[in-house]
Amino acid sequence: MRGWRHFVWAIVCGFAGVIVLLSVFIVSMNPYGNLPRILFSEHVIDDTNQRFQYPALIRSQRYDSIVIGASDSRLLHPRALERVFGGRFANLAMNAGLAYEQYRLASLFIREVKDRRTLLVGLDHVWCDEDAGEKRITFRGFPEWMYDDDWRNDLRYMLNAKSVEISGRRFGQALGLRKARFPDGYEVFTPAESAYDPVKVRGKLWDKGGPNSADPVVPAYAANAEERARWQYPALPWLDEIATRFVGRVVFVYVPAHIAAQPPPGSKKAARREECKARIGAIARRHAAPLIDFDIHSEITANDANWWDRLHFRLPIAERVVDDIERALATGKDDPKGDWRYLEGPRTGAVSSTAE
Amino acid sequence: MLFHSQEFILLFLPFAVGIYYALARHQSAREWWLIAASLIFYGWWDIRFLPLLIGQTLTTWLIVELAIRRDWRWPLYVAIVANLSVLGLFKYIDFGASILEQVTGREFAKASLILPIGISFYTFELISYLVDRLRGTAPRYGIRVFGLFIALFPHLIAGPIMRHNEIIPQFAYDPLRTGLYERIGRGLVLFLIGFVEKFFIADQLAIIADPIFAEATQTVPAFSLAGAGALAFALQIFFDFVAYSDMAMGIGLMFGLMLPMNFNVPYRAVSLRDFWRRWHITLSRWLRDYIYIPLGGSREGVGVYVWATLVTMGLCGLWHGAGWTFVLWGLGHGLGLLVCRLWQHYGSPLPAIAAWAITTTFVVLLFVLFRAPDLGTAGHMFAGLAGEGGLGTLWPLATLLPVLIAGTIALIKVPTFEWAMRIQPSWPAAIGFVVLAVICVLEVGEGAPLSFIYFQF
Repeated sequence: MRGWRHFVWAIVCGFAGVIVLLSVFIVSMNPYGNLPRILFSEHVIDDTNQRFQYPALIRSQRYDSIVIGASDSRLLHPRALERVFGGRFANLAMNAGLAYEQYRLASLFIREVKDRRTLLVGLDHVWCDEDAGEKRITFRGFPEWMYDDDWRNDLRYMLNAKSVEISGRRFGQALGLRKARFPDGYEVFTPAESAYDPVKVRGKLWDKGGPNSADPVVPAYAANAEERARWQYPALPWLDEIATRFVGRVVFVYVPAHIAAQPPPGSKKAARREECKARIGAIARRHAAPLIDFDIHSEITANDANWWDRLHFRLPIAERVVDDIERALATGKDDPKGDWRYLEGPRTGAVSSTAE
Repeated sequence: MLFHSQEFILLFLPFAVGIYYALARHQSAREWWLIAASLIFYGWWDIRFLPLLIGQTLTTWLIVELAIRRDWRWPLYVAIVANLSVLGLFKYIDFGASILEQVTGREFAKASLILPIGISFYTFELISYLVDRLRGTAPRYGIRVFGLFIALFPHLIAGPIMRHNEIIPQFAYDPLRTGLYERIGRGLVLFLIGFVEKFFIADQLAIIADPIFAEATQTVPAFSLAGAGALAFALQIFFDFVAYSDMAMGIGLMFGLMLPMNFNVPYRAVSLRDFWRRWHITLSRWLRDYIYIPLGGSREGVGVYVWATLVTMGLCGLWHGAGWTFVLWGLGHGLGLLVCRLWQHYGSPLPAIAAWAITTTFVVLLFVLFRAPDLGTAGHMFAGLAGEGGLGTLWPLATLLPVLIAGTIALIKVPTFEWAMRIQPSWPAAIGFVVLAVICVLEVGEGAPLSFIYFQF
C-alpha cells in the first residue's frame, strides 16, 4: 500500500461500500415485511423472536383471524380454529407475551387487516397483573417501530447483524435452499409426545410450590366491595380498546393453567384473579363477546399427565381445548363435567360480533 | 448522540468532517462550521441544554472583554463565582438541601433540575481560562475561537479537560497541511479502537457489575460475588472512559487537532501518586494547577500539605457527583495519597509487585464507593468483600473470562494513542479496519447503545 492517502481512501471506501451493500441487501430482502415490497410479494416467518416476525405475518394480509396470547396459547392449531370459526387463522401468541405486547399486536392487526374476521384472545395472568402498566416488555425487546404505520422510521433500526441474518434466510428461501418456518405462526414448541416422562414432569409441576400448593386456604380471604374496587388492573383498558375497535368476532378464552400455577383457592391472589375475571366479563358483556374460562380446577388442570410444565399443556389437550371452545360456544353454558365456565356471551349458542 | 451510535458514525461525523474540509481554506468559515456542528451535536441530547452552554460561554467571554477594556480584575472574580454558581445550581443544590435537611431536621423543597450534560467539564475549562487571565498567562481571544475552544464537540461532553493554550493555537493550523491523510488515518484507527473498548469490553463488564451492585442494594453479597462486582466495575470504568477519550482524540485528529492524552496505563501504577499521574490526566492536572498548588501544595509545611491534599481530593470526588459516596471516594484517595507520601518519605521501598498489588487493591476497593448508588449499598459490598455474606461459589466462565481478558489488556497494553501512532498503512490493516468497523456498526445497531459512565458527571 502506497502511504496514508491510499490507506484512508481504502478504509473509507471499503467501509462505506460494505455498509451500502448491506443496506441495499436488507432493504431488498425486507426481512420483517415492514418495508414496501420490492422483490417479494409475500412474507414468510423465519425467525424465532415472534415480536419481530408477527407484524410481517399481519402485513402479509394472508390471515383474517388471529390468536393473541402468551406461550400457553401457542399450541392452539390454526387449522382446528378454522374448523370452529372459519376464516384463515394465524396463531400469533408470543413466548412470555405481556399484555402490552399483545395489545400492540392486536392493534396492528386491527389497523392493517381490513377484512378481519376473528380475534381469539388467549387470556392468562398477564392481563391481571398489577404492574402490567410498567412491565410492558421483556428482555427479548419489543420493536415499537415495527408496530406503527410509518415504514420510513423503521430504516434507522434495521442496519444490524440480526437483519442481515434474517435477510440471508430470506435469500435462501428465494433460491429454494431453505424452507419457510412457521408460515402461520404455529409451532409445536413442546418436546415430542414420545419423550414424555411423567416422573420428570411431576417434579416440574410440584417442586416449586410443595405438594399442597393447590390446596384451599382456610378461612378464605374475604374482600369487601370497597377493597375490590381499589384493586388495579392496568392492562384491562387495553383489552377493552381492542374489543371496541375490532370489527368482527372477539372471543375471550382464559386458557388452562395447571392447578399448581393457579392461585390457591381462598387465597387473596385467587380473590384478585376472580375480580379480574369479573372485570374482563364486564368488558366481554359490553361487546357481546364470549368469555370462556379454563383457568379453574378441572380434570384438565388437575391431571398432571396433561402437562409438560405448569403453563404448557400437551398436544391432545390443545386439541381438546379447541373442541371445548366449540362446544362452549354451541351450548352457551358451563361444561357439565366442569372443564370450563362459560362466564359471558350469548346463551343461545350463537356467537355474536362486535361493532366499531 | 453517542460516538458509538449509527447516527453519529454514518451521518453526523462524515457530514461534519466533509464540510470542514470543504471549507478548509477559509479559517473563519471552517471554525464557524465546527461551532455549528458542535452545537448540533450538543443540542441532539436535549435542545434545552443549548442556552446554558451558549450563555455561560458568551457571558464569560464578555466579562473577560470588559475586564480587558477597563483594565479591571474584579469582573474575572465575578465570572469565576458565576460559573461555579451555575455548576452549583444544576449539580449540587439538591445535595446541599439534603445536607441541610439532615442538619436542621427541616424539610426543604428540591429543585430537581436536569443536569446539563458535560457541564462539569466545560465549566472547569471556562474557570481555567479566567484564572489564567488573572495570572496574566492567557491571551485575549476572539469570540469565535473562544467559543470553539469550549464547544468543540469531541471533548465537550466528557473531556479531555483542555487548556485554552493547548487547543486554540491549533485552530489556526491549515487542516490541509502536510500529513493530512496520516492524521485522518490515525484518527480513524484511534476512533475504532475506542469503539471496540467501549462496546466489546466496557459494556460486557457492565453486564457483570450491574446486577451485583443492584443485589447489594438489598443484601450483602457473597465474597466471590462482591469481588467480581468490584473488579468488573474497576475495569469497566477504565475501559469506558479510555474508550471515550480515544474516540475523542481520534475525532480530533480527523479535524487535524491534537487533544491531550487522558490515560497512561493507570492500572500499572505502583503507587497512588503514580496512579493519579496516569488516571484522568487532564482532570488531575487541572486540580493540581487550580486547587492544590494555590492551596499551598507540598512546599508550605506538613499541615498545609495535608489540608491541600484532602481539600483537593474531596473536591475531586464532589466534582464527579453530588453525593457522599463520591466525597468519600475522593477523601479516601486523599488519605491514600498522604499515606503514600509518608511511606515514600519514611518507609523502605516496597518490591514493585507488592507496591502494584497494594495500589491496585486500594483503587479497586475505592471504586466500590464510586459505583454504589448510596452508602448502604457500598457498606453491603464492603461487608461482602469482608466475607460477611459467605465465600460464595467460584466465578462462572461468563464472569471469569471477561474480567481476565479485560484485566490482562488493562495491564499489558501500551497507551492506545501511542499504539495508533505506531501503526503503518498496509492492506491487512485496512482490511482488518473495515471488517472490524462493519461488525461494530452492525452490533451497535442491535439496540440502544449504553451511554458512557462519565457523561453523568
